[in-house]
Amino acid sequence: MPAEETAKHASRLTLKSQLDDMALLWPWVEWLGVEYAIPADTLFNVHLCLEEAISNVIRHGYDGQPGSTLTVECTSPDAREVVFTIEDQAPPFDPVSGSIMEDQPATSPMDYLRPGGRGILLMRKFAHSLKYERLAGGNRLAIGFSLPQ
Amino acid sequence: MEMELSTEEMDGGITRVALDGRMDIAGAAAVDMKMNLIAGSAKKLLIDLQNVTFLGSMGLRSIVLPARAVHSKGGKVVLFAPNEMVEGVLKASNIDTLLPIHHDLSKAIEALQ
Repeated sequence: MPAEETAKHASRLTLKSQLDDMALLWPWVEWLGVEYAIPADTLFNVHLCLEEAISNVIRHGYDGQPGSTLTVECTSPDAREVVFTIEDQAPPFDPVSGSIMEDQPATSPMDYLRPGGRGILLMRKFAHSLKYERLAGGNRLAIGFSLPQ
Repeated sequence: MEMELSTEEMDGGITRVALDGRMDIAGAAAVDMKMNLIAGSAKKLLIDLQNVTFLGSMGLRSIVLPARAVHSKGGKVVLFAPNEMVEGVLKASNIDTLLPIHHDLSKAIEALQ
């Protein structure tokens, strides 16, 4: 496990650009669920969206090449929301407002199964907010989830 | 917890595959090979999802690709008893239009006849 996450109990997780490092994701999300009192159904959506977003970064942003990293940070700006911010150093990739099939109807369930394809649409359906920013030499994607009041 | 898979041969030539755990990237990888092997021989496949607690897009692939293999041989596949959240992912992905979802076992079996 990367040093800063010895920190299983840190609000920030660093992952290597390899899919098997994603095994670290759920234990971290599960712990945050306790920390931020995130209900089970919201936690399901968090894991779903993070898995889609992070696997896209690894498979497409980094083109499946090991040797890079990405970070995920969890913040709760107020009691109504929890936000997960993913930062990478990959080439520009905007899953929020790009032309990534967002307006195309799903003609087949198989459309959802193409790598980098409809998985993004799943993320759009299950997140409450998505905000993309291009960084100097990277990307930042903030995924927000509402918390029950 | 590692994803687990068990199989049972039921009356009527039905193969019941029970998945247990989280169908995330690691879970999908853990069952992919077994699912493909089962799909290679099954003609009537009941995929029991009642103990699946998470389903992501890689997990969807691990269900749909073997199901398509069964379909391509003229076989049938049904999904049984996903929880509400897992069913939400199946429906959001339109997978339910390809693989019917049943919550009543007798109806799931009937759909395979």
